Amino acid sequence: MTSRLKKITSLWITTVLLLFVISIILGITMRFNQAEVIRLSPITFYTDMTVHGLTMIGIWFVAGMAAVNFIMERYVKTSKFVNILALVLTVVGVLMFWASTFIGKFHAGWTFLYPLPFKVMWSAWATPLFLYSLAVLAVGWLIWCISLIAAMLKKYSITQVFAWQYFKKGPKEETPPFILISMITLVGIVTCLITAIVLVVLLFAEYYSKGTFVNDALLMKNLTYFFGHAIANEMLYLGLAVIYEMFAEISGRPKWKTTWYVSLAWNCTLFFILTAFFHHLYMDFVQPEGLQILGQLASYLASLPAAGVTVFSIVVAVYRTKINWTLANLLFFIGVMGWVVGGLGAVIDATISNNFVLHNTLWVPAHFHTYNAMGNVLFSLGFFYWFSVNFSNSRHSEKLSALKLFLLIVGGIGFLAAFYIGGADSIPRRYSNYPAEFVHAKTLALIGGVFASIYLIGILIFFVNITRRCVKILFSQSA
Amino acid sequence: MCKDFILSICIIVCSQSLVYCQSSAGWKEEVNVYNKIYDAPITMVSGKKTSINTLAETKPLIIALVFTRCYGICTPLLLQLKESLPYKHDERKYEVLVVSFDSRDKLKDMQRLRNQLQLNANSNWKFAITDSISRLVASVGFNPVWHEKIKQFEHDALLVGVNSQGYISKKLIGLRSENDLSMMISSINNIFTPTYRLPGKSAMLSCFNYNPVTGKNTPGIGLLLIALPAILSMLVLIVINKLVHRKEEI
Ligand code: HEM
Repeated sequence: MTSRLKKITSLWITTVLLLFVISIILGITMRFNQAEVIRLSPITFYTDMTVHGLTMIGIWFVAGMAAVNFIMERYVKTSKFVNILALVLTVVGVLMFWASTFIGKFHAGWTFLYPLPFKVMWSAWATPLFLYSLAVLAVGWLIWCISLIAAMLKKYSITQVFAWQYFKKGPKEETPPFILISMITLVGIVTCLITAIVLVVLLFAEYYSKGTFVNDALLMKNLTYFFGHAIANEMLYLGLAVIYEMFAEISGRPKWKTTWYVSLAWNCTLFFILTAFFHHLYMDFVQPEGLQILGQLASYLASLPAAGVTVFSIVVAVYRTKINWTLANLLFFIGVMGWVVGGLGAVIDATISNNFVLHNTLWVPAHFHTYNAMGNVLFSLGFFYWFSVNFSNSRHSEKLSALKLFLLIVGGIGFLAAFYIGGADSIPRRYSNYPAEFVHAKTLALIGGVFASIYLIGILIFFVNITRRCVKILFSQSA
Repeated sequence: MCKDFILSICIIVCSQSLVYCQSSAGWKEEVNVYNKIYDAPITMVSGKKTSINTLAETKPLIIALVFTRCYGICTPLLLQLKESLPYKHDERKYEVLVVSFDSRDKLKDMQRLRNQLQLNANSNWKFAITDSISRLVASVGFNPVWHEKIKQFEHDALLVGVNSQGYISKKLIGLRSENDLSMMISSINNIFTPTYRLPGKSAMLSCFNYNPVTGKNTPGIGLLLIALPAILSMLVLIVINKLVHRKEEI
């Protein structure tokens, strides 16, 4: 492992954690505004919501990528230049995006659903700046993904990298699960980033045509959710690739191996995760029924096989065996549980008959915050913790571990419960202030905000400890 | 392989554009739908003066635009409407307003038409004339053409559905089935009716093209754009694989 890669990874970790703390504060501010404890103008609320949503998606995507890139170096040689380029383009993209929102007041939500970007209720320059920021991020991340795919293909053939040899009897070559899952995920990410580029090109075409070219709203919605749904899910799989590699190692257990069912489950995931987005269009009755049915089936088929084999592997690994429990593998373990609970919430919502009731209620942020705040975030935190302790040569104290876990779990569960109960009570999502008809909405928002603050304290302790160690790695002579 | 791929994309794009051009010829029924109808002042055969919107406010309207001296479609249109409506539909949900678009028609002509159709006793049918013919017909996209030689208008058999807010929610051209009339009555009562896209600047990249002749949706270029990223990423994979292994061979 080169010291340069360690330094770049430290930079990624520090950047992600800093942006995470800021984004959580925006999230808590939104919840307290909904509770009417503080008063924000609707424009400020929606600006915060847009910044919070897109920044969160962006940082946990790059967190997964940075971890995957770091671990991949164990198997193949990766490009440090591309890694740094991605970091620079990410920082530039985020700064452009923040300028368009915080200064320009662009506030069309993280999905910027067409035609909202053109219903200008903000500075006129904010729309093109926002679109340019997306283009910078998409191009930077696309180059990064392609470079990692190329690195894997140099060593493994296409059949090997997708672990297809396991479908035959007595496979001769081995494909580490980490390589299989990384490849499946990176191909999915490339697809959704290309979708983002098509989307941005169409938006630019309309913007610069001055009204002579008008986009088709249904096409734009399909493309938006193709991109949005896929990236939000693929970033979880980056975290899972890390778990497949690290869980056994940190726990002092034999390394996990690829089998035919692991290979089959992940190959299915590649296809189904890209078609599950149709569940975002259940209310668009102009979309033919066949695609709605495909949306429901793909939602099941994308989540169940991968979740099944992962949970099975974890349970087999920990059941009646001696495990070296550390903060890192505990975070992985709890993260997988969060992912499964959030996934169940998602599958409930993706079932057409339930969606009639749950569509655009707080159930939606409930399930995606579960597999993010209590799933993917914990996957990456586990990696950050392991990385920072391992390479900073600092003695780590387990003293704070229990407290940190307690704060994350109690804070996380309380924060999410307020969303779930709100969703079950048909309280709509994305309301800056709730009308009086939603009797419990304000109380739930207050409870959510208080518990989220507890979660934030846990994260702050992680932030201080991990960042301190990462800065040490960054400035050490021989990291 | 690459050449074949580009060729097939070109063929699909061209054929889709052709479908779009062809289908746009049948869009007459969609013109001015979802616009407000002109609130023309009308005089009913009873002599009562009112306006289209005032009538629509009490009950959504099916408006038939006719002229009494018509040798052609006007009488069959009204007869068919008279026969189709009462059996299947609840009369509380609509009113039929027959308005003349011929300035020569006077109240007594409309009265005679009502008698001929034996609708005197039916309060759900109203017959009227207006002095704002040109603005009314323009607001519904109806273009009768006068032929001096035969002293007749060449025109469509048109029914216009207007909801209680005065919006044109559906138009039917020609003698239409009971099913189509049902859809019109639902739409003027703001009840969900299956819809399809209207022509406009945005139709070029639509995912589905509605063909008014067949009444069916066919896949459009938009669907190709949705599939494109997946196709491109497979190509990216193949190209990278080729490139890294070619380098190795060199
Ligand atoms: C404790 C931490 C967090 C808090 C307090 C928080 C709070 C919130 C709130 C209040 C909303 C608006 C909900 C509504 O629709 O009414 C929201 C939306 C959202 N959050 Fe979070 N969140 C947190 C963590 C996360 C994480 C970890 C992620 C993702 C990786 C995330 C991604 C999003 C997204 C994508 C939206 C939707 C934004 C939109 O609708 O445009 N959040 N969050």
